[in-house]
Parts: sequence; C-alpha cells; structure tokens
Amino acid sequence: MQAAVGTAHVPHGHIHPPPDTFIKKYIFSQDHKVIAVQYFITSGLFFVLAGLLAEMMRAQLASANNTLLSPTTYNEAYSVHGSAMVWLVIIPILTGAFGNLIMPLQIGARDVAFPWLNMFSFWLLPPAGILLFGSFIWGAPEAGWTEYPPISLEQSFGTSMWCMAIFLIGVSSTITGLNFLVTIIKMRAPGMTWTRMPLFVWATAVTAFLSFIATANLSAALLGLLIERTFGVPFYDPAKGGSPVLWQHIFWFYSHPAVYIMILPAFGIVSEILPTFCRRPIFGYKAIAYSSVAIGLVSFAVWAHHMFTSGLAPWVQLPFMIMTMIVGIPTGVKIFSWVATLWGGNIRLTTPMYFVLGFLSTFTFGGITGIMLASVPADVHEHATYFVVAHLHYVLFGGSVFGIFAGLYYWWPKMTGRMLDETLGKIHFWLMFVSFNATFLPMHWIGLEGMPRRVSTYDPQYQDTNLFISISAFVLGASMLVFAYNAIKSTLSGREAGQNPWGARTLEWMIPSPPPYYNFEDIPVVLSGPYDYGKPLPYREIKADLDYKPIV
Amino acid sequence: MATHALTVDDATYQEVRDQRLLGFLFFLISDVIIFSSFIYGYIYLRSTAMAWPPPGIEPAALYMAGVNSIVLFGSGATMHYAMEFFKHGDKRKFVGYMIATIILGLAFLGGQAFEYFNLLHAGTTWPSSIYGAAFFTLTGLHGFHVFIGVIFLITVLIQAQRGTYTQQRYFGLTAGALYWHFVDVIWVALFSLLYVWK
Repeated sequence: MQAAVGTAHVPHGHIHPPPDTFIKKYIFSQDHKVIAVQYFITSGLFFVLAGLLAEMMRAQLASANNTLLSPTTYNEAYSVHGSAMVWLVIIPILTGAFGNLIMPLQIGARDVAFPWLNMFSFWLLPPAGILLFGSFIWGAPEAGWTEYPPISLEQSFGTSMWCMAIFLIGVSSTITGLNFLVTIIKMRAPGMTWTRMPLFVWATAVTAFLSFIATANLSAALLGLLIERTFGVPFYDPAKGGSPVLWQHIFWFYSHPAVYIMILPAFGIVSEILPTFCRRPIFGYKAIAYSSVAIGLVSFAVWAHHMFTSGLAPWVQLPFMIMTMIVGIPTGVKIFSWVATLWGGNIRLTTPMYFVLGFLSTFTFGGITGIMLASVPADVHEHATYFVVAHLHYVLFGGSVFGIFAGLYYWWPKMTGRMLDETLGKIHFWLMFVSFNATFLPMHWIGLEGMPRRVSTYDPQYQDTNLFISISAFVLGASMLVFAYNAIKSTLSGREAGQNPWGARTLEWMIPSPPPYYNFEDIPVVLSGPYDYGKPLPYREIKADLDYKPIV
Repeated sequence: MATHALTVDDATYQEVRDQRLLGFLFFLISDVIIFSSFIYGYIYLRSTAMAWPPPGIEPAALYMAGVNSIVLFGSGATMHYAMEFFKHGDKRKFVGYMIATIILGLAFLGGQAFEYFNLLHAGTTWPSSIYGAAFFTLTGLHGFHVFIGVIFLITVLIQAQRGTYTQQRYFGLTAGALYWHFVDVIWVALFSLLYVWK
C-alpha cells in the first residue's frame, strides 16, 4: 500500500497507438470511453421507446373505460416498458455507460482489464433491444416485467423472444461485472488503496460483484422458462408437477440484488457530486463506502419480500421482513452522510447539484414507502396496487433516473469537452421534478384506496386523479425534450469545458476533456483520498486548476 | 493472445496473467451460481413433490453413473499429472497425460449418452416429468460443460505443441486445468444429489 507509492514499476506503462479505421474507432471500439458513449446512445434510444410506451399507457388511463388501447396491447405495453427500463436502460446506463466512462479514469487506469470483452458486452445490447421490441410482431409478453408462470408459459412466441433478449442482457451484465471487478481490484494507480478510491468506484465495485453473482441466477431462470416454453419440460407448470413459485424464488433472487445494481451506482454519482459542489470533504467516507458493501450483501437475503402473497409460510416471511427493514440502515447511513455533507458546505447550486438534491428527497421518499411495503401485514394489502407502482417509480425514477441525469450533467463536459447550458438544465430539472412528483405521488393514494396495477381500466371513482396523473406524465415526457435540445445545443455550440470546469479533485478531472485515447500520459501516483477540499492535490506528477468558476 | 504473452516483459506478463486468472475465477463463480440455481430448483421440486421419482418414472441407475464418476475423477487425476509434467518440462509425458484426460472426458460423455439412451428407452424423457426435467437439465448442463472442457483441452494441447506456452508462461493451460477440475467438482455435487440421495 504505502510501499506501492515508491515502486518504480508503473502498470501498463506502454501506450498503444489509437486505432486508425472508422470501424475500429467508433463501431467495434475497445476503448472504454467510446463504449460508454455507445451505451449512452443505445440506451438513450431505448429510454425514448420505453418512455413512449409509458405515455401510451397514461393516454389509455386518462379516462376510465377508455378504448384507446385494447387490454392485450395495454398488457404488452407495461410488460415491455418495465423490461426495457430495467434491463435496456437503467442497468446498461449505470454500469455500462457511467461505469465505463468514469471508473477507469477515477482509478488512474488506461482502460478496463478486458477491453475485448467490454466491446463484446456492449454488442449484446442492441440485439437484445431488437428482440425485446421486435416481440410486438408476434405478440409481446403480457405478464409484466416479472413474467410469472404459468401465464408466461401460455403466451405467444414473443415471450420466448423476451427470454432471449433478457438472457443476452444477463450475459452482458455478468461479463461487465466480472470485467469491472477485475479492473478495480488489479488496475488501480499506485498508491490508490481501497480507502483512497473515489466513492463512485466503491459503488461500481459492489455493483460489479452483484452483477456477476446475481445475474447468473437470472440466466438460469430464463433458460428454464425458455426450455419449458420450447420443449414442454416441466419446471414451473403446476399442471405437470412444476412450481410457479420456484420461478419467483429464482427470479427474485436475481431481481432483488438487481434493484441495488440499479441504485448503487446512482449513490456513487451522488457521492461524487456532493463534495464537489459543497466544496468540502464528504462526510463519512468510510461509512458511505462500507454501507454500499453492506447493502450488497444484505440484498441477497431479502428476495422473498416480493412474494408475501405467494403462500409462503409465516416463519419464512418473518425473517425476510426483518432483513428488508435492515436494508434501511445502511441506506440511512448514506442519506444522513450526504445531508451532513451539505451541512456547513459552501453550496454551489449547479444543475448536477439540483438533480442530486432532487434525488435525495425523492429517493428517501421511495425508501420510506419501501419500509412500509416490507411489513407483511401492510404488503398483503398494498400488493399489486398502484402503491407499489408509486414506490418503485420513486426509487427507480426518483432515485436511479435522477442520479443518471445528475451524472450526465456532471460528466457531460468530461465526455464531450463542452458544457451543457445551465439555464436549460435548471428548466429541465424543475419541469422533471415537479411533473415527476405530480405523476407518482397521487398513485400512493389511489393505490391505498385499492386501484390495482396492470389493468387497462379502472373504477370511475379514480377518474379525476388518473387524468391528473396522465397530464403530469405527458409533461414529464416533454421535459426530456429540454434535455435533448440542451444536448444538441451543447454539441453544436457549447462552451469549451476545459480540463476541470467544476474544480473537482478526482482523477478524471486531472486530464483533458474529452480524455485522450490513452487517458493518462503518465500513470498518476496517489498520495491520499480524493475529497480533501482546501488541501493541495493528492497526486504526484499532476497539476490541475482547482478553482470553481461559476458557469453561468 | 497467448502468443502476445511471449513478447512482453516479465512484469507486464505477470500483471496480465493475474488479471486473467482473477477474471477466469469470477467466471467460474458465476458458472457455479448457474448450477446452484438449477440445483436449488431440483431440490425445491423434489421436496415439494408427492413422491420421488414421480410414479411410473424409471430413475437413472446408480451403478452406471458410479462407473462414469470414476472415469471423470480419473480424468481429473491425469489432468493434474499433465500439469505437473508440463511444469517440470517433461513434454512427452505431458502430451500423454493430456491425451489420456481428453479420452477419459470423451468416455464420460459416451457413458452419459449410453445412460440417456437407456432412460429414454424406458420412457424417462426430458419433458416426461419433473424428474426428467431436473435430471436431464442438470446432467445435460454438466455434460455440455464437459464437452466444452474437452474442446478447451484439445485447443490448449495443440497450442502447447505449437510452442505457445513456456515453462514460465502457460496461463492457457492453467485455465484449461482449472476449468476441468471445476467440472469435476460440480459432478461431485450432482452425483450426490441425483444418484446417491434416495
């Protein structure tokens, strides 16, 4: 650790020449930064498609007994919307895109450990998306993103395409996880001990571990479903002695850790942005780092809280209820650490900071409804109602997507070399924040009143609330146009970002924007942690401008 | 890639080798998880079933699988010797033991094919029941791994003959041996759970 600082051998001291053909440079690139951009573009496209499906659903639900979508189309829409948002959007963006873009830079590496696998992993994503959205041709799956048997066994060929699509994503996620974890363990710059790593790297390490451990279960569950659908081999069909609950067990043994795959990197993003714009060291570095590990481990012991209405024995339910509530402890440690970082900070209200503050409020809200749902007696009442829809969107949209936008506004200058417009960014934030809450907050109430999820129609007593929700959802969708316009404007005529526009201290800001092909001309030597604002830089051989200059 | 390994300096080789070894171990762990999921499914179905095997289903015979197990564990031993001889520079014995390992692996697959043939003949097919589902999926998945392992070993043997590996740099061989031992260990679990557990 300390000794490594003085050693002469610098890992990967040689610099490869950049690829010279267009195909190698932009299509089948093995450069982590290019792959990150590929992930952003591909998943961004899927985000638009899956978002349009959501708007279709809200159009249908704008009035009771609406006939805009048939019940079948409505079922297809929410199933593909959920599957796409989870597997084609949030997971690839948080791991593939942000992990690839930032993690190697933050640990002072020239690339990930296995660049070829990294490329391969990305190229599984487009076919998966084509399979998933192409399933509409044969009739898309209709049993929700969880595809519980026996319904999923009886559906058309589209469900087999769904299986294949998610299987590809599973393989991609496993490979990326393995690749990132090896990179973080083996390729950190000299002197970067575990407790000197930026918190985003900590989050990525835990996420990577979850990715290759948990995702293998998903692969197995999907393989079983595909085999049963194709060859009639009984695993899940109760008519042939199989068990539908078996699918639920294996699926959730993956999918609950997957929830943390979808939020831990966002925690990491928040932990990077807060100290930068509070101009002070992050409060509780080790508490935040180790609570990520705790969340990762506990996440394997909570899966059956999704199955409280599946007929589990009470002695099985109780420990899952308790373990689920325990997750609230490390999560609370993080939230209090972030709030404590704000305390006494010299706060700069930039767009990334807006999104972080939005994240803190909405995610905490979603976390609290999560504790409500963890309680068995409450869950039995709330299960399969709009309360669950509200909860999951508060954590996945209010948490993950707000985290994603915070990260995008923060690292866009590093990725493209140009600034995004701050005014447009703030307009985007306020539109998104208000319409997000207007969309999903009322769902708690109609959920508690008993409006079931996953049904294309509803009792007319919920009419007014649903109309309000639908209008808000359209505004929420439209708010994305502000970001799209901002991104185009920045690309065409954005201000030059320079190396370190935010005056941050982690390693990615010590090199030009966008970073050169080899990232670091000399591999930096790290002398202490990255968040000591007010002290000299903890890197040898590196100079950077640490002044924060107001952008607008 | 392995040929590239001969052209770099020792420190870089060591670094790359460590990364690949760790990555390969992580891959094996995720593979263990896949097997665990199916094993969990098997135990779940078996413990919730009325009778096991379900009435009218002919289960796989213990003695046949026992013979096959000896074949597979034997191949683990020959693999170990092959590695040891390679490390000590005895090229001839290395090749001999590698070929023995490959032949034993193929013999295992042959034994499994024979077993499948008998079972199918007795009416125990893959979709016939949850017994068939669990048995053929688990042994099939394992057999697929043995098949991949045989191809893996043939590949590294050819590479070794072409001089890809030296006594100091032989990561491909290490990976092949690890994979083969991994397939062996999985079989211990499957043999116990599918044949010995009555």
